[in-house]
Formats: sequence, structure tokens, C-alpha cells
Amino acid sequence: MERIFEFLFKFRPVLFREGEVVLATPWPLALLLGGVALLGVAAVVSYGTASGRAKPWERTLLATLRVAALGVLAFALMQPTLVLSSVVPQRNFVAVLLDDSRSMELPGEDGRPRRAWLQETFGPEGSELVEALGERFALRFYRFSAAAGRVEHAGSLTFQGTRTDLGSALDQARGELSSVPLSGVVVVSDGADNGAEPLARALVPLQAAGVPVYTVGVGAEHLSPDVQVTRVELPRSVLRGTGAMADVVLDQRGLGGRRVTLVVEDGPRRIAEEEVVLGGDGEPTLVRVPLTLEEAGARTLRFRIPALPGEAVQENNARTRLVQVADDREKILYFEGEPRWELKFLRRAVADDPNLQVVTLQRTAPGKFYRLDLDEPEELAGGFPRTREELFRYRALVLGSVEASFFTRDQLQMISDFVGERGGGLLVLGGRAAFAEGGYAGTALEDLLPVYLEEPAPNGGHAFQEVKVQPTPAGRNHPVGRLDGGSWDDLPPLTTLNRVTRTKPGAVTLLEGDAAGEARVVLAHHRFGGGKVLALPVQDTWTWQMHADVPVEDLRHETLWRQLLRWLVDGVPEPVAVALAAERVEPGAGVVVTATVTDSAYIGLNNARVTLTVTHPSGAVVEEALAWSVDADGEYRGTVTPPEAGRYRIAVEAATEAGVLGRAETMLEVGPSPEEYFDAGRRTPLLQRLAEETGGRFYTPRTVGTLPEDLRFTGAGVTLTEERELWDMPVILLLLVGLLGAEWGVRRTRGMV
Amino acid sequence: MRIPVSLVPALAAAALAGVLAAGAPVPASAQEVDARALLREAGVVRPGAGYREYYFTRAIYSDYRGGFGWGRRPRWATDYPKADHQFLVVLARLIGIDAHQGENAVRLDDPGLRRFPFLYALEVAAMDLTEAEVQGLRGYLEVGGFLVVDDFWGERAMQNLAYQLSRVLPGRPIREIPLDHPVFNAVYDIEEIRQVPNVGVGRRGGPTAECWGCDPRVFGIFDDHDRLMVVINWNTDLGDAWEWAEDPWYPLPYSTFAYEMGVNMVVYGMSH
Repeated sequence: MERIFEFLFKFRPVLFREGEVVLATPWPLALLLGGVALLGVAAVVSYGTASGRAKPWERTLLATLRVAALGVLAFALMQPTLVLSSVVPQRNFVAVLLDDSRSMELPGEDGRPRRAWLQETFGPEGSELVEALGERFALRFYRFSAAAGRVEHAGSLTFQGTRTDLGSALDQARGELSSVPLSGVVVVSDGADNGAEPLARALVPLQAAGVPVYTVGVGAEHLSPDVQVTRVELPRSVLRGTGAMADVVLDQRGLGGRRVTLVVEDGPRRIAEEEVVLGGDGEPTLVRVPLTLEEAGARTLRFRIPALPGEAVQENNARTRLVQVADDREKILYFEGEPRWELKFLRRAVADDPNLQVVTLQRTAPGKFYRLDLDEPEELAGGFPRTREELFRYRALVLGSVEASFFTRDQLQMISDFVGERGGGLLVLGGRAAFAEGGYAGTALEDLLPVYLEEPAPNGGHAFQEVKVQPTPAGRNHPVGRLDGGSWDDLPPLTTLNRVTRTKPGAVTLLEGDAAGEARVVLAHHRFGGGKVLALPVQDTWTWQMHADVPVEDLRHETLWRQLLRWLVDGVPEPVAVALAAERVEPGAGVVVTATVTDSAYIGLNNARVTLTVTHPSGAVVEEALAWSVDADGEYRGTVTPPEAGRYRIAVEAATEAGVLGRAETMLEVGPSPEEYFDAGRRTPLLQRLAEETGGRFYTPRTVGTLPEDLRFTGAGVTLTEERELWDMPVILLLLVGLLGAEWGVRRTRGMV
Repeated sequence: MRIPVSLVPALAAAALAGVLAAGAPVPASAQEVDARALLREAGVVRPGAGYREYYFTRAIYSDYRGGFGWGRRPRWATDYPKADHQFLVVLARLIGIDAHQGENAVRLDDPGLRRFPFLYALEVAAMDLTEAEVQGLRGYLEVGGFLVVDDFWGERAMQNLAYQLSRVLPGRPIREIPLDHPVFNAVYDIEEIRQVPNVGVGRRGGPTAECWGCDPRVFGIFDDHDRLMVVINWNTDLGDAWEWAEDPWYPLPYSTFAYEMGVNMVVYGMSH
């Protein structure tokens, strides 16, 4: 298309885009237009009166063709001229950025490594392209991967960079050449950018300076056949022995419908395996892998698909994730408003779990409480907590059959804050004094619930109903709903006194029930502020332990409660927490450490002494104080720059004059990044966007020959004006010949010749 | 806050008076009920619209004499159902429990037994469990059921019970429960184990033992987590004290103690 345009209009479209078309007529414009108008009128009159058998519309057509031909002629006589800003030879600079990352070793379109064309073209021997560029510009070559640096030519590139940071490379080249006239930047890359900063940020200064970026994309857009582990979603910390779900996204080319095995390894141990049928060609596949981590400490989990025969890239078949497996004893408060079997069997279900402590407060009579599993004799001596400090020491709260009027307004609000602000978990059980039957409509607890409260049963009664429970599709893939592979089908029905049929927007139903044909919500959850809320409006899950149809050795009841309570406390924050901006960095790269410090009521503290302790793989320990970030209450920030590869322990301790508030730690993995091998196909859209947003152009090795010419007319740098006549464009001649020929043809067929 | 002990009999008496005044169908005397009719009529309460959280469930078991003792009354049905009714009335007043106000006798080999995790058995001196009953009670206790044994006296009765329970829970010894165990302070603080006499002895006054040198003691069988599976009230008759709590001639301290022990055992059994 571009060649046809150039044939018709003498010059390539890019020149018209860069330049300006003007009319350089030596005659007065009015005289010229007047003359053409006269000739046109004469043509119309003469065709209107001329003899011949032409019909009126044919005469109109003839007059139009003649006027159009006169118009084209007049345009040519007005001497159209293309005015261009052409760079002054050897007065301007062009930065050439050469991709030195590992992905350049991957195969290109011709089967050779991507680097081959780059080395040939920009190597020490030179090439036509470099020669043509060198004739007009002073060239400055840069290599770039994670960082950029000046080179003489591509001969010194090693293609060992573990990251491609286009943004910082552009920034560096522009910065170094800011004092000289810069006509443009040429980027030769596969576009596999994985820099930390968004690329758009680096473009703003280039756009402001009017420096165009010309991108040369190397490599094939798609590598086939290939499968890659694109993403792994997994909690950063879990409780030892807790079932966790890993969401793994697989992408593939040329392997649609193929059956592969996803393997999860914890060090040398294989901890899970999942057979996966890949989606259609090019379609991503989501795999949910249930995991149970039994070893405490920092675990490096590897999600891997064994290499397939003939696979284009094997390095993208695995991803690692760092998980902190805690071995804490999580304290849960279970408040029950009356003696109930659910309490007994819940306690029994988790009695063997060393990581759960269910502190039980049971109201046996008005004002009288039975307390179990306490840490100290005074704990809960006054009944349900009345202060934030008292309640917020627990990580989750289970509410049984206790009426809303038992609580003061402040206590209900405190429960709301426990979830929303402290980030605790709340589980609300069914019962004769729970949900609507407990009078919770219009209270702060109603807002917390993931379900809508229906009208309570009339006359203070209960909507007793048997419910046959089944997991929803979401429930089957949830740690709570998996029952360690046990079946739900043969579990006996439960009973409920609370009619709950609807969930709130954003809530997820994990278990549903059939109550005489009506669908009931049996277990639903949603996020509320920093925490989560679960509703379980049935009253006797203990049936799954005690029913005659359930064998004595059956552990499904225990499994359900263990998983449910573990999931309830999962991710609940501690008063002191630490987070890293990235869990894996390369040696020498900085990573931001953020510590969050609150008091026992979970209110941010800005005057704490926060000490960051970094333990290096060598065993060396470095301590420094973290400063309050000012951005948010209780947030302290610092940067760690690990010098060597290995695993670093990052610990934070916060203290006030009153004593130590708490400690938190996490791990940082330092080493070469495999990111270069992921999404390793040439990213044409990114390179095109980069060029278009700066006024440059995108090329491939086949089309890059016009680059030197295009660079001449960017308008950037030191330029001079260049005029190019357009009157002799072939399109003008073709138009004239075409219009007059058509006119002559019509006249001849109508006997007007 | 604790409920004053002195209020227990008052509450019991008031509750019973209320029930009787309202003409509630509490039999005047269980002795009048034909024992075979009892067996036929004793049915399992199923969950339904009148579902209650707690059912005072009495164990129907076999004994050496074919299930029938003095007066052709089965031993398991001693004090039945008046003691059950009176205990439930007072229980509901003393603690906020959603209790079924009626008797509920269930055979040990009935699969429905597991629906009722609290079980009361008495007069076990002649208990002679069938294999089906052994299996039923074993499964019941292993999954979390709680058994209270009451009203049996003397060494031979204890030896028989120990033998029967060794068939049910082999390898689990019977141990005496110390006074600082939670079952003695779940709701009321029990400071000493009192011997509760039957109604005749109680009315007469004087020694309370039904056999020579019979001291009251409370034993138990514990599970692997040291939780009580079985509570054995030996040389005492809590059931008679419940049954005759409204009798002005039956001494108040005995019925008070019996109700306190009963409430404690229910609350402990529903929480451990």
C-alpha cells in the first residue's frame, strides 16, 4: 500500500505526515481561479447547446468531467509544494537502544535467535542501515536490560540481562543526550518489557521534548508450541496444616486441548499434582490447586509443568511463590447464648488442631457464663468483651444463638469494628436467637452479614426446616467445601430455624440447601472492611458427627470445622505487620519494606520505635530504624537493597516506652529473574504504542530500510526547511488523462465528436 | 454471678406447682404404669416442627431378669417418667436451655439414639447388655455421646456395671472424678459428694445408705482428651431426689444437691 501511495504521490506517506503541503503559485490566486471558472462556465454552456443525441443528464456529466479536469489542471498550475523540516546532516544525534536481555536468545521468525539480526545490523562490521543513519546523524548506541549503558556497537552485548526495563533505558538515553540536538531514539527489542515502572511514565518527557521513538520489533509474535505458567495466586502466609487454594493461570500456543500435569513442589517434595486439559489454542486456562502446607517456616513453592516435546520455551514452565507457614495458636472467641450441642461438637471437632484455640463463652443463665479454654482466670470474667482491647485480642469471633438485645449498641458497633477495622473474622451461626429470629434487623450486625435477613417467623416462632446441604461450584473449589475429598452426597440433612435465601451483592455462597424445594443459603461469606464475615444459618452441623448413618470413624464434621475456622482466621492481621513491595528481586535492586504498627485496639501508632532487621544468606545481620511514612497512620517505610543472591529474612520489631508491641517477619528471595521467558513473544502492540505516542514509527527487520529517510523529517533537532514540488505527481497526470478520456468517450458514443 | 443455692428448691417447687396447677400431664406415680406398656410406648422423638435442643433421654437396656424387676417394672424405668419431667421443669428454670418438656426413652440399639447426645441410665445392678446394645452404646459414646449412670448401690452392682462398660469401652478404665474436675463446677460449685437417699429413707431420716458402708462416690470414664464420656454416680439416688423434690417430707439439701449435680452434668455434657 505504501508503495502504491509513493508511486502516485511521489513521496511516502510519512513525509506528508511530517511535512506541510502549500500552494506556491506565482500567479495571483483570484486570477487563476477566475480563469478556471470562466473556462468552466464556457464548458457548461457549450455542452448545453451543442448538437448531438446526448440526453440532459449525459450533458451534465460531460460538463462535470470537463470542470473537474480544469480543476485538476488549476491545482497543478498553483504549484503544490511539500514543505519539510529536514535535519541538518551530522548536526543531530540519534540514540540507538539495543535489547541485551536473555529473551533475545529465543528463536526469531527465521528460526535463528532474535539477537542474530541485531548483531549483524549493529555489529562492528556495520551495515547499510547503520551506514545510512551514520551519514546524517551522530549515532549513540546503548545496551539495555535491567539498566542501560553506552556501547560502541552490538558486538559487546552478551544477552544475559534478566530483565527488560524499557522505561528506564529511554529515560537514561534522553537524560544523557539532553544537551545535544536529539532527532530521535531507535529501540531494537522484542518488547518483552518487565520493568518496575509503567512505560507511560517514561514517555512523558520524550513527548514533552518532541523526541520521536522508532521501534524495531524482532522475533516472532507467538512462540509455538509453548505452555507457560503465567500467574500463581496464593496467600503470602497461611496457618500450618490449613487447606489453601492456589489459582494458577496457564497460557499456551499450539497446545489447545492437550492434557498436561501441573506439579506443585515444596523443595524436593511433591505436595500436589493436578491433571489439566488446556483450553482452546491461545486461550488461558485457570487451574485451582488445593494445598495443605504441613511444615512451618518460609516455604518456596514451585508450580511446574514438565517440559513437553518440541516446546519452544521451557524456561516459562515454572513459577515459584514464597509462602510463610505460621505455626501460631490462633485464638477464636465463640460466644454462645445458651447450652447447645453445636458448641460441644465444634469444640470437639477442632480439639486436635494445635493451631486453633477456641475460647468459649457460654451464657448458661441470665448474667451467668461458662468459660472454657482460657489463657488466664480473669479472661472474659465479665462476660462478653466491653472494650476494643478485650475483643480485639481474638482473631475471630463466632456468634451462636444469642439475641441482639443481649448486646449494647456499643458492643454491636465494636463487633462491626472488629471486622472492618481490626480485620478479624466473624462467623454467625443459626439458632433460635440468631439472624432475623434474634432481632438483628436494623442493627450494626445486619450490615455486617453477607446475607439478607428475611421477616422473622410469626409469633416468635421458628421456621423449622430440614435442609439437604450441597456445595455450590464455588464451594467445591474452596478450602472449606472440599472436605479433604470426602463426599457431601451421603451426609444427612441438617435443620434450620432461620430462613435465609438471599446473599448480598459481592457475597459468595459456598454451601446451599434444599428445604422442601426452596433454595436456602447454608454457608456464605463476603469481605467487610479489612475482615471477612461468614453466615452459617443452620443449627446442628453436629448431626454430621452423631447421625446413625455417619460411621464412627468418619471425619467430615471435623474436617469441615477445622477448615472453616482456619479459613476464618486466615489473613487476619497482627498489631505489627511487615510487607514487601516484591517477594523476589535481583541482587542490587532495592525493595520497599512497609511495616504497619498499631496498638492493642488496632489504632495506628506514629511514635513507635520500629527496627528493621535484615538477615543475609551469609548470616550477616543488618539493623536499621524505619521512619513513619507520613502517608498513613502507623505506616513505617524503608528500603532494603540485597547485595547477593539467596534468601533474606526481613524482621520488624515495634516498641514504645511501655514495651514491645510486636514482631513480624517475612522473607525476600534474591536471584536472577526468569521473567524474560514469560510472554516471550514479540510484543508488537507495546512497540507500536511506544512509537505512535511519541510520533515515531514501528518497523520490523524487513521494513526498517526506510528508517534513515524517516528520521530526516522528524522535525526534531537542528533542521532546515526543504521544499519538494508536487505538481508533477503522477496522480495529477493520471487524473487529467482519466477525466479527459472519460469525457471524450462519452462524446464519441453520443455523436458529439 | 451465681444463682444462690437456696433458690434451687424454691424454683423447683414453684415450677412444679405451676405445672401441676396448670394440669400438665405429669403422672402422679410412675409405679402405676404398666411396665410392658412402657416398653411399647417408649418412642424416639424425631426432629420436627417442635424441635428442641435438649432431650432428657433415658436409656432402655436389657438386664438379667428379662428387663423386668419388682412389680414387673423394668429397672431402666425406675422413677420414670416423673423424675424426668420434674428434672426438666427445673432445668429449664435454672439455665436458659431449650429443653423438650417430656420423657424420651430410647433403646441402646436404636440407631436414633445418636440424635440425643445426653443419656441417663439407672438401676444398673442387673444390667446385661445384648451385643447390639453394646455396639450401639459404644458407637454413641465414641462419637461424642454422654452417659450419666445413677441409683445403683454396693460392690456387686459396681462390679456388674464395670463389666458391662468394659464390654462397651474396652481398655478404658473407670476412674474416680476429683472434686476439682469441671463437671463439679460447670454451673454450681460442688464442694462435697453427698449421698442422696431414696424417697423412703429420705422421709424417714437417719442413715441414707441403702447398704452397709456404702459411701457415695462419683466415677468416670475418660476419652483420649481426658473428657468425660461416662459419669457414674455410685451409692446415691439423684433420680429419686428429682422425682420427690416437691414432697415437703423429702429433705431439701438432698434435692438441692441432686439438681445441682444434674445441671452441672447437663452443661458439662453439652460443652465437652
